[in-house]
Formats: sequence, C-alpha cells, structure tokens
Amino acid sequence: MTSLTHLQRLEAESIQIMREVVAETENPVMLYSVGKDSAVMLHLARKAFAPSPPPFPLLHVDTRWKFRAMYEFRDRMAEDVGMDLLVHINPEGIDKDINPFTHGSAIHTDVMKTEGLKQALDKYGFDAAFGGARRDEEKSRAKERIFSFRTTQHRWDPKNQRPELWKLYNTRKHKGESIRVFPISNWTELDIWQYIYLQNIPIVPLYYAAERPVVERDGALIMVDDERMPMEPGEVPMLRKVRFRTLGCYPLTGAIESEADTLPAIIQEMLLTKTSERQGRVIDHDSAASMEKKKQEGYF
Amino acid sequence: MTKDFSPDVLNERRLEAVRLRLDGHTVAEVAKRTGLSAPTISAAWKAFREGGWEAVPIRQRGRPKGEGTQLGTGEHQLLWQCLADQPPAPLAAWNTRALAKAVAQATDKAPSPRTIDHWLDDQGLKPTPLALEGVERKRSTAGRWVRQQVMPIVEQINKGGGSNWQGGVRVVTQTDTTSRRYQLYLHGKRGALFTRCLASPPNADDYLAMFERLAADGPAALIFHGAFFQASPEIRRWLEQNPQMQLMAVPADAL
Repeated sequence: MTSLTHLQRLEAESIQIMREVVAETENPVMLYSVGKDSAVMLHLARKAFAPSPPPFPLLHVDTRWKFRAMYEFRDRMAEDVGMDLLVHINPEGIDKDINPFTHGSAIHTDVMKTEGLKQALDKYGFDAAFGGARRDEEKSRAKERIFSFRTTQHRWDPKNQRPELWKLYNTRKHKGESIRVFPISNWTELDIWQYIYLQNIPIVPLYYAAERPVVERDGALIMVDDERMPMEPGEVPMLRKVRFRTLGCYPLTGAIESEADTLPAIIQEMLLTKTSERQGRVIDHDSAASMEKKKQEGYF
Repeated sequence: MTKDFSPDVLNERRLEAVRLRLDGHTVAEVAKRTGLSAPTISAAWKAFREGGWEAVPIRQRGRPKGEGTQLGTGEHQLLWQCLADQPPAPLAAWNTRALAKAVAQATDKAPSPRTIDHWLDDQGLKPTPLALEGVERKRSTAGRWVRQQVMPIVEQINKGGGSNWQGGVRVVTQTDTTSRRYQLYLHGKRGALFTRCLASPPNADDYLAMFERLAADGPAALIFHGAFFQASPEIRRWLEQNPQMQLMAVPADAL
C-alpha cells in the first residue's frame, strides 16, 4: 500500500469535509471570493462530487471594489464550471455609496462584507457556508474550528467551540444556527500554491508578477485599478513589477514587489517568505485583534 | 578577437605564439593555433626579440585601481544631495559634468566627469537605455507600439530639428545607507545620462520641472518608462497646453 503525500492527505481531508456537509445540512453554499483559496476550494468541490457538478451554488459577496481582473475571472469561471453563481451586494451600501476612501476600511468592510454576507445567508436561507480561510493566515483563524457554529445573528463565540477529535465533526445545530465550514483550514499558503501548480488550477493573473501602476500609501503598494482611485495632489502612480499574495478590495489590498511571474517562481518565493499573506490587507491593521472582532460580528 | 581575451589569457597566447614562431611556424599557422591576429603575433615576436621573454606579456590595461580621484563620505553625501535637488538651468536633470562641477565648487576636490560616472555606476544609478531597435522588429504588441506610435513621432521631431529623449523612473537602493530612492533618468544623444534621485516617489511637479526644461528649446519627444501619467490631471493638463512636448509612455511589460 502506498502512503499518501501530504497534499493528497490534505485533499482527502477537504473532500471528506465537503461530503460531510452535503450529507448533514439542508442548504449549503460555497463562498467564492475569486482568490486562490476559493480556486482550490472550488477545484476540491468539483473533485468531491464528480462527475456531477457540486450540489450547491457559489456565493460572491461583492463590494463593488474588487479588482477588474477578479470580476472577469469570476464570470469566466462560473461559466466554465456550470454552477450557479449568486452575487450579493448590500443594497444599503449601494444607497449610501459606501466606499473605502470616504468611509474608511473598517466601515466599508463591515457594511459591504460582514453585513452583506449575513444578508445573503439570510436571504437564501443557507445553513452551511464553505469558506476558504486557512489557519496560517491569521491567529483568530488558527483557533477557529473547521465546523464553526454561528448564532441566529451569525455571531461567533470563540470560547464556545466544539471539539473535533480524530476528525469527527459534530454537525448537529440548533434551530436558526448556521455553520461556517473551512475545508482548507489545515492547508498552508505554500500547500495552496503547490496544489495549484500540480493540479493546474486557473487563478486570477494578479497573483503573477507584472508591471502595474501603484501608489505608496502608508507603506503599502496600492494598485490604481480604475479611475475611482483618488490621487493625492500631484501624485503620479509608478509602474512597478508587483504581484498580490492575497486579493480583496483593490484600495485595501497591498501588492508586493516581486519577479515571480510563474508558479514555480511563486513557490520558490513562498519557501523564503517570513511574513503572512495578510500583511497586505489594510483591514487587518485596523485595531488589535481586529480579525477576531470582525469574525465575532459575522465576518467570514 | 584579441580584444575578447582577458589579460591573463592574452599573455599566455602571446608567449605560446613566440614559442611557435621559434619552432619555425609561419604567422598564419600561429594565428590559426592561438587565435591571435597577425599584428598581435608580430608585436609579441618583436617584443621578444627586443626584450626577451619578459617583454612578451602586455602591460596592465588602463590606470591601476585606486589611482583615480577618491570620493570621500562628504562627497558621497553631497552627490546624493545634488541629485535630490533641481539641477542648474537649463539641465533637465544632472549629468556627470554638472555633478563634477558641483563637487568642485563645494569641496577642495575636483573630480572628473569620468569619476562621477564611475560613482554613478557603483551606486547602481546607470540604467541602460531602452532597446527600441530590437523591439521594433518584433511581431508583438510592443513591436507594433514602437512602429506605429513611437517611430512616426521620432521621425517628425528629427525633421523639425527637435530633440529625442528616452527616460524612466525606478526604485533604487542607496548602497551606503540601504535607503530606497526614486531615480528619474533621461538618456539623450548617444545615450548620455541625466538623472535625479528623490527620497519619495516623484510627484507631478518633479516631472513637470523636467519636461519644461526638455521642451524649452523647441519640440521634444520623450519615451518614458515607469510612470502612469494617465492618472495625473496636472501632467495631462500640461501636455495639452504644451504640444511641443510629445510624451510617449511605454506600456506596462512592453519592454
């Protein structure tokens, strides 16, 4: 009997989790943020239920501030995989024109992402939502269980989590409760890249290094993705060879200077890196333990 | 051919050439076996006949290392300070001559432009000009851009007696402090370098100060790499008001 590689073990674990959720819940959905983790999660879901398409839709909680390349990629992928793609934008956010520049990253994230997600889950009545969070991203994600239970108000209580001994998951939930499920929680960023390389999974081109127009804001390289990005007086963006380790709303996502324009080069870069990919996210610098606070309030 | 050999290899070949000549081989045969040219073989043979084996190896090329003008820490700081400031008019950016003059005026040293050139090289401040000739022939987006947008303007400027420039902006690391600098650079006739180095990303005023001086003497074309001018209303407005300046931004990843 041949033993599995560490990636095969992770893959098997993720597939088992997905099948368990479909068996135990009534109306699951997969949160699709268009990033690399979502790409891997989607690939795993297709494997888990092949030859049929996965028995749940994709849900993209849009903020209207994602990179243009992400929207193009999202629409192309939804067409290719043959799954339903639900896109939800918080209507209140549209009415008030909530944006990261005028309202700041904290309000923008709360209204457009946290509230938007809660609205979408309530609107469609989803009782389980797959998310592509990983433990190695951030400390509050590190301690969150794979099956993460949420109250009727979508709140997370980090002090009240269920044990997951020997990979046995207790999926029983009270009325009105829902579950956030993280099938790739045990993967690392390097695992994700190796898997993308080995399985030839399509990803948004922004992950590859290329010359892009960027401005420096508080030490972060912010890409000028469209004309909505307000320039400081006299500011002129520079074209620099950059790539993104993580993708979110473009005004809140920092690029890194890199020459890695192929998957092997990215993997090589990952082997040498000593920082988390989330260092590029402005929203993570809001306040101490901000991610845990956001998660308690319902952020994924 | 001889120019491609390192001094050590060249000396070995010269000694070998003399040995072969002593053995009675013709110059043509020696040339074939050593890879040296006939004049080099003759020169080695002549040196041997006049001075023996010791005279065959060539002398060290150029001035021995360390004999040139040495720039101290004070001059280094002064040069970085100059590069951060506006150059004297009418220069659009600093060249080696102006930097040498500035150092001579402020200190008791009088470095040559060549010394400054070496200093720029040591600091990694000598970007290579854009290789447009190679790109022009390519059947690619970049090749089409050069053929269809750049060359017609360059020819028009040449006909009108104007000046053609290349330039760019990039991030460099100051070697003695490891702090990052933003280098604005221009390449003029025969690749002559003009440059400035700023502590923060250049803003519209920095670019416009440079453009104004380039366009002061008549029509000028500038092929520029590394800035996204479309996002700057100040620069767009200035270009509309100054049609004698033709700015061609190199598309991302084109070169």
